[in-house]
Amino acid sequence: MDLTSASINFSIIYPEISLLIAAALILVSVFHKSANRIAPYIALIGIVVSIAMIFKQWGHQESGFFGMITCDSFGVTFKLIFDVTALLSLLIAHRYMISKGINRPEFYALLLISTMGMMVMANTTDLIVIFLGLEIMSVPLYVMAGFAKRSLWSSEAGIKYFIMGAFASSFLLMGIAFIYGASSTTDLRRIVADFHFIMSNSPAYMLTGMALILVGFGFKIGAVPFHSWVPDVYEGAPTPVTAFFSVGPKAAGIAALLRIFIFGFANVMMLSTVFWVLAVLTMSVGNILALKQNNIKRLLAYSSIAHAGYILVALTVGGNDAISAAIFYLVAYIMFNLGAFAVVTLMETRSGCKSDFSELVGLAKVHPYLAAVLTLFMFALAGFPPTAGFFGKFYIFSAAIKSGYIWLAVIGMLNSFLSVYYYLRVVKTSYFDSSDKSFIPVKYSLSIIIVLVITVIGTLGIGLFPQQFLNWSQSALFAFL
Amino acid sequence: MTSPQVGIVFWIIAFVMLISAFMVVSLKNIFHSALFLILCLFSVAGIYVLLQAEFLAAAQVLIYVGAVAVLMLFAIMLTNNLASKKIRQANRNVLVGFFVSVIFCFITLVLLVKTYVSVWGKLKPQAVLPAQNVLVFGKYLMTKFMLPFEVVSVLLLAALIGAIVLARKERS
Repeated sequence: MDLTSASINFSIIYPEISLLIAAALILVSVFHKSANRIAPYIALIGIVVSIAMIFKQWGHQESGFFGMITCDSFGVTFKLIFDVTALLSLLIAHRYMISKGINRPEFYALLLISTMGMMVMANTTDLIVIFLGLEIMSVPLYVMAGFAKRSLWSSEAGIKYFIMGAFASSFLLMGIAFIYGASSTTDLRRIVADFHFIMSNSPAYMLTGMALILVGFGFKIGAVPFHSWVPDVYEGAPTPVTAFFSVGPKAAGIAALLRIFIFGFANVMMLSTVFWVLAVLTMSVGNILALKQNNIKRLLAYSSIAHAGYILVALTVGGNDAISAAIFYLVAYIMFNLGAFAVVTLMETRSGCKSDFSELVGLAKVHPYLAAVLTLFMFALAGFPPTAGFFGKFYIFSAAIKSGYIWLAVIGMLNSFLSVYYYLRVVKTSYFDSSDKSFIPVKYSLSIIIVLVITVIGTLGIGLFPQQFLNWSQSALFAFL
Repeated sequence: MTSPQVGIVFWIIAFVMLISAFMVVSLKNIFHSALFLILCLFSVAGIYVLLQAEFLAAAQVLIYVGAVAVLMLFAIMLTNNLASKKIRQANRNVLVGFFVSVIFCFITLVLLVKTYVSVWGKLKPQAVLPAQNVLVFGKYLMTKFMLPFEVVSVLLLAALIGAIVLARKERS
């Protein structure tokens, strides 16, 4: 097959195009009086059409646009992951935005464009296009973090995220420049084809470039020691945006890391040591700092750092078992993390409520079902069987043990035990604590109920049929590299 | 760089660039810093011209000097009293920053020297760039790099919407 085919085959970018068309329609509809009401529906239709297009691409392996876009199983799987994330975040966001008085059509357009950027990022083997996709993903995210302009916290989150993000992008770009300098191409497939020649010719340039690229993506996925922005941004941004942050950019960053470092530069031994250190630091620091948090959003921020660490364990190990385990874990994490954020969002739509622990007191008495759902998500985050979280960790750590990374698996499991403490604190507060303030009941909305149903089915379904799901994630392993 | 005159021009430009870059980060008046930034960016354009990258030089002047730097000047002038205020640019992390940048400089220097040594004597003076490299550049933009070229417009659109959303007045 001609991998740098000049064919301008639009069918391989239909999912991206449908998101873009929906975003354009929303921007046009801004001039209509009831734009606020119709924008979410346009976005919803755009995402659903995009998902339908992805199913049509299933199993196709194509490359087009002079090799700038590749449509392989790996990329298509990640496209689906991004679309589902965007869909759930949209459903979580709708009611919240109305209740906070910031329901603007632009929000939905930015959400769609950001999702499109993630798709571009995961569906290319060209470093330039990866960088472009990353920027298209990030620029709307900066604005979305600061979308609640009247809230100082939100503005702070937007500025912080913008500065750190721009900083990270410059590292990434510098790394790409170094690699281009060493190999005189930006196409990963060409670099991989001549890898030994390039490495023996200019190893220093390649290694410096790889290090800088790793720093850039480390910022994006919130790996320690590049995590300092995560808690503040997660706490300050509007909660549905935080929900989107905690999974979307992380999944996109992991996709790019997998493509560059696991499929691309797989033969560099030094890298696995670097990933080992990153994984251990990310897991441990995330979990230890989460122990003392009294705000649920901050707690989930540190927990998301820790979960990035578990996925980095899989990247350290490498090999088919570990990569399919990483994809498995990523999807499972999306399910229960978005579910947890949906509950937090629901709590915050009550007027004047923050996301402190004290707001949870009495939840179980007033809303037994909601408390049960929250408990399920916390158990899944902590990794109890039979939830998806257990099998995700199980597959990652068993892949690590099989490849001889015993210590890494042991540290990961110890971290997992540590995390049980703070996840169960959430459960304990909502069931057993009492205070003199009475619990203000929450109002359910259809969209939140849909999200909760989908995420509960996902969390339990993946947990009950892990083998079928693992087979699915193994089918995503084919990549053009 | 064939003739010694070109070499002299390079050193002059490089000297101006370094001095003005240092001024940008050390002056107390932020308006003067911005003006030195323009000088610095102009010198970078000069280096591009010396390397026969005319298009890059023109883009550098148009975008960085014409748009970015002028925008900075506007932002400084429109912000209350910022133009005449004395601001210390460094905070207590200046020493740490200094060491990090020295280390980074050292790594880059080592890389450059290594490359220089490894290609010493092997390079033959030859026309690396085609005579009309702007033409070639344009052709590449419309063929091989067509998709990135189009995708950039989505990025610009996103930035535009973002700027409008953030700058627009709140309706209560």
